[in-house]
Amino acid sequence: MDQPVIASDCKGASEVVEEVLFDEATIFKRIGELANQISSDYEGRDLIVIAVLKGGFIFASDLIRRLSLPVSIDFIAVSRYVPNSETVQVKIVKDLDMDIKGKEVLLIEDIVDTGLSLNYLITTLRDREPASIAICSLLDRSDLRLVNIPLNYVGFTVTDEFLIGYGLDYRENYRNLPFVATMNL
Amino acid sequence: MNRAGRNTQLIPKFAHSSELEFVRFLDFYRVEWRYESACFALDRDGQGRVTGSFTPDFYLPQFDLYVELTTMKQKLVTRKNQKVKKMWRLYPELNLKIFYGRDYRRLLFKFGII
Repeated sequence: MDQPVIASDCKGASEVVEEVLFDEATIFKRIGELANQISSDYEGRDLIVIAVLKGGFIFASDLIRRLSLPVSIDFIAVSRYVPNSETVQVKIVKDLDMDIKGKEVLLIEDIVDTGLSLNYLITTLRDREPASIAICSLLDRSDLRLVNIPLNYVGFTVTDEFLIGYGLDYRENYRNLPFVATMNL
Repeated sequence: MNRAGRNTQLIPKFAHSSELEFVRFLDFYRVEWRYESACFALDRDGQGRVTGSFTPDFYLPQFDLYVELTTMKQKLVTRKNQKVKKMWRLYPELNLKIFYGRDYRRLLFKFGII
């Protein structure tokens, strides 16, 4: 089979990628390790995996295929901070289809930095009385953390500035890059 | 903070535009904040009078966290860093987070602002 074409060269991705931090192989390997850990931790239990849109969907889709557990999958999205926009406060813009009451929940994020968005999400979901909520984030940028939220599963810790790829966007572009990279602005 | 999670205090006059942007960010995520609400003594003279102090920009009561925004030039950052180091030495129990210009830029990038 030929080397997969990086779909990402649309929108001039090759010109904006400064440095690839985590390539496909590295991400694949780490996801396997996370999947093994999660499968072991939740063995014998039913798990609802919730991908936090939009950034978490690629990570979630790769992760759940490596889990050796029966899982249900759902999606949730919260509004994003936009300066001077009509949206005054954070809110859920795409809610869950499933009832999570009494269920084991695993939230999948692409990146956690300040933790404010995640804090809002967890507070909201706790009101629905799940049995537990755990968090799995591909990236942890803990040096920006304002809310002390323990992350149960972390792919990589990062401190870099402008990250794109593997779900992370810049103005809605570059989510489809198969790797995580820094962007040359 | 009212029931809708909005800060009900009057918007103070901020020293820097980045502080106003930070407040908008906090308001968006329903985080209660207080501006320059506490002043900590750093130096005292022989009579015990305060000769040097530090006033963090924000206090976030929900997280018991003080936040200092530092988007200024490196020369001034160095001076502020010295104060912050002293703060940590004198008040080790205090939860203080510093946001440097680089940190701030990372957040702005995430939201597509820069």
